[in-house]
Amino acid sequence: MFTGLRVSAFLAWKSIERGSKGTLALTIMIIALIFVNLIFLPSIISGVVRAFDDQSIDFDFGNLVIEPREGDQYIDDAANLQRKVDRIPGITGTSPRIAAGVTYFYRGRNAASTLYGIKPADERAVTKIADRMVEGEFLSNGDTDAIIMGTTLAGREGEEAGGLPSLRGVVVGSPVEVVYPNGEARTYRVKGIYETQSISIDASAFVTAREMNGVLGLHDQASIILVKTDVNGREAEYKTELLSYGIQEDIWTYQEKSGGFVNQAIQSFDIITAISALVSLIIAVVVVFIVIFINTVNRRRQIGILKAIGISQGVIVNSYILQVLFITAVGTLAGIALTAGLTIYLTAYPLAFPGGPVSPDVEASAVIQSVASLFAVSVAAGYIPAWRVANEDILTAIRG
Amino acid sequence: MIVAENLTRVYAMGRVEVQALRGVSLEVGKGEFVGIMGASGSGKSTLLHILGLLDRPTSGRVTIDGTDVLALSDHRRTLFRLNRLGYVFQDYALIGELTALENVYLTSLVRGDPEEEYLRKSTAILERVGLAGRTNHRQSELSGGEQQRVAIARALVNNPSILLADEPCANLDSQASKSILDLFARLNEDLDQTIVMVSHEEWHKEYFCRVVTLRDGLIGDTEECRREGPPPGRTA
Repeated sequence: MFTGLRVSAFLAWKSIERGSKGTLALTIMIIALIFVNLIFLPSIISGVVRAFDDQSIDFDFGNLVIEPREGDQYIDDAANLQRKVDRIPGITGTSPRIAAGVTYFYRGRNAASTLYGIKPADERAVTKIADRMVEGEFLSNGDTDAIIMGTTLAGREGEEAGGLPSLRGVVVGSPVEVVYPNGEARTYRVKGIYETQSISIDASAFVTAREMNGVLGLHDQASIILVKTDVNGREAEYKTELLSYGIQEDIWTYQEKSGGFVNQAIQSFDIITAISALVSLIIAVVVVFIVIFINTVNRRRQIGILKAIGISQGVIVNSYILQVLFITAVGTLAGIALTAGLTIYLTAYPLAFPGGPVSPDVEASAVIQSVASLFAVSVAAGYIPAWRVANEDILTAIRG
Repeated sequence: MIVAENLTRVYAMGRVEVQALRGVSLEVGKGEFVGIMGASGSGKSTLLHILGLLDRPTSGRVTIDGTDVLALSDHRRTLFRLNRLGYVFQDYALIGELTALENVYLTSLVRGDPEEEYLRKSTAILERVGLAGRTNHRQSELSGGEQQRVAIARALVNNPSILLADEPCANLDSQASKSILDLFARLNEDLDQTIVMVSHEEWHKEYFCRVVTLRDGLIGDTEECRREGPPPGRTA
């Protein structure tokens, strides 16, 4: 067995070492590009999903969202509930928000969107909006005449927002009038403008909960409570944990809140990825098959001679399999290098997506799966023509 | 020792059946240098292919050193070729990607011989066939005569009990042919190497101990011990 493999390796290496370097390089390059194709599209899709997840957690929902029970407009006794949730192990922050649909007025322009009332310190513990101020500052707990808004809502002078609410030119310090659903109107000074690249958040604005409670006449109530957990990805476990603590309100994971869109998108992406992977693997099969087929047909006589001088069919077939393994291994390594280069570049210069900047998210499982499938199809594609020729009658093979 | 009994070989060429051998019986003793001669299409190469286990007869029996070789499985036949037979082809049949030395030691590698031993054996046999300075040359860098010497060295490296040669001089000029035949004669004389060689050149007869002539798939004549004493060009 070992001797046979040694001879196969000897024949394979001599063929690689002294065969056509151009054909070898071209084949390796094709395998490398197939590998990149197998990895790259899924990694971009994973990147999109990850970016969407990050956006949802960091700006829209936190990890979990507590909402009023069905039929209720607000969560009552919100502070008590907040304290209760804060005490649960693994919960690192909670932020009650009051949401109201308002109309903004600025220099004769108006726009309608959601205005949130928040406790700034609590919000900082859950979302990263405070880290995304592009102008001015985030809210402070004592602010009553200040508002912060997203870049979409603030807008730019003379620039349309493509159907999204925009005041077209609000800057820090601008006075913006807000008309609440109860008809109350307040004028706030814009304290800061943020950009999260989350469409809904960038089209919204925030004031302090103290201010909004005063305007809407609320006391210790919240429209939603955002919950931040110590790790991402275990939202379902934490939801069960919260329910076990007797919380009566509706609890949603961020996936459930944004589920429809993300799930549909992921399903569509999965289909595209599967088709792309299938096409790549078919190309790999065809390329390896053709290379080995031409190789074996050109060496038909040589294969006959090897058999005639006492080298077994298995040793001959294995020598071709080893050549395929070498080509696939080098091609895969080149593919990994190319993928790493692309990933580094796109991490430095991410792709702009509506949900936020996207970098490839290369998952180890995807790499392992791609390497395994590439090797499997390559070996199969190399084995068939090698076996076919090596199985020929000696004299027929020698006569070519 | 080779014992071939009543060998027939029928090829199907489309709907036509061609009888290449029609009942050939032959014995070759240890240390004999037998020439198989005959006109083109007489069946001499077919006979050698069967004796070399490269082909199977339609009927008949072949025993080599007491082994019924036709009863062997394909795997056993391969091992038999590797360990007991040496085969020299008309057109050298070297592996173009390998050097002369690599071509020679390839079969020793297959046998699992230690590296030191197969390198020593292969270098020695290349020296014996007069290619000491050409060991690292590839096929394209060797003349026809040199390529055939490499093929002979490859056939001999595992000390086969029988060396089979299928018109080994067919592609060589007379000078190179003579040097190959001299080499065969020396191997036969010095090492008592059994050789069965196919040829159609009349002047080769003077090298053979015995000449078997085939005609239309049957043995026509057998000339016993045509050669007397040492091979041509050598003194007793």
